[in-house]
Amino acid sequence: MKRQEIFTRVSSIFREVLEDDSLNINEKEGADDIDDWDSLTHIMLIVETEKEFKIKFISSEISNWNNIGDMITAIEDKL
Amino acid sequence: MISKFNLEDSFEQEFKISEDLVDGFTKLSGDKNPLHVNDIIAIQKGFKSKVIQGNLQNCFISYFIGECLPIKDVMILYQDINFKKPLYLYDVLFLKVTIIGIYESVGLIVFNFKFINQLDEVISKGKIKIKLTI
Repeated sequence: MKRQEIFTRVSSIFREVLEDDSLNINEKEGADDIDDWDSLTHIMLIVETEKEFKIKFISSEISNWNNIGDMITAIEDKL
Repeated sequence: MISKFNLEDSFEQEFKISEDLVDGFTKLSGDKNPLHVNDIIAIQKGFKSKVIQGNLQNCFISYFIGECLPIKDVMILYQDINFKKPLYLYDVLFLKVTIIGIYESVGLIVFNFKFINQLDEVISKGKIKIKLTI
């Protein structure tokens, strides 16, 4: 799966979890840059990502992410 | 600790809808709607007697999650409930809970639940998401 396709699907997950159809994310953004991306929605973002791509992360992987680009790289590595 | 939970694990708990319980919930919630406290009005509306506040069942969920799971290091993140049939005084409810999702990376467990009465009727059903706090 190409990185762009992963990004598109991750964007949809963010819109759904954060309940914002107009949200446009970019790879450089992190939790501090996006309204409503708090510790609880973070959990749901991970859960929905695992379900969408049928993958499983471990907690140490997630803790190393600094932005959405890191998240997409981690997804790429598991596909 | 999440290893104490497995997909499709199920749990059951029984609750009796006693007068003390209903009085306590009515005082706590302040919900004294005539449908909940007046048998005559409830019967006029087509029910067999006063209808107990459905949200009492959310208290049972709170008790179940806080006190009945294999570990107590948990917190509720999400809970929804669909009320299917009325709840009456002296009903006996059987809470049946099944694990439908385990997300180890974030310590999240997802449950489906049903409350079933002594007549085997589904009174309510819903979903709970809890996070381990360890």
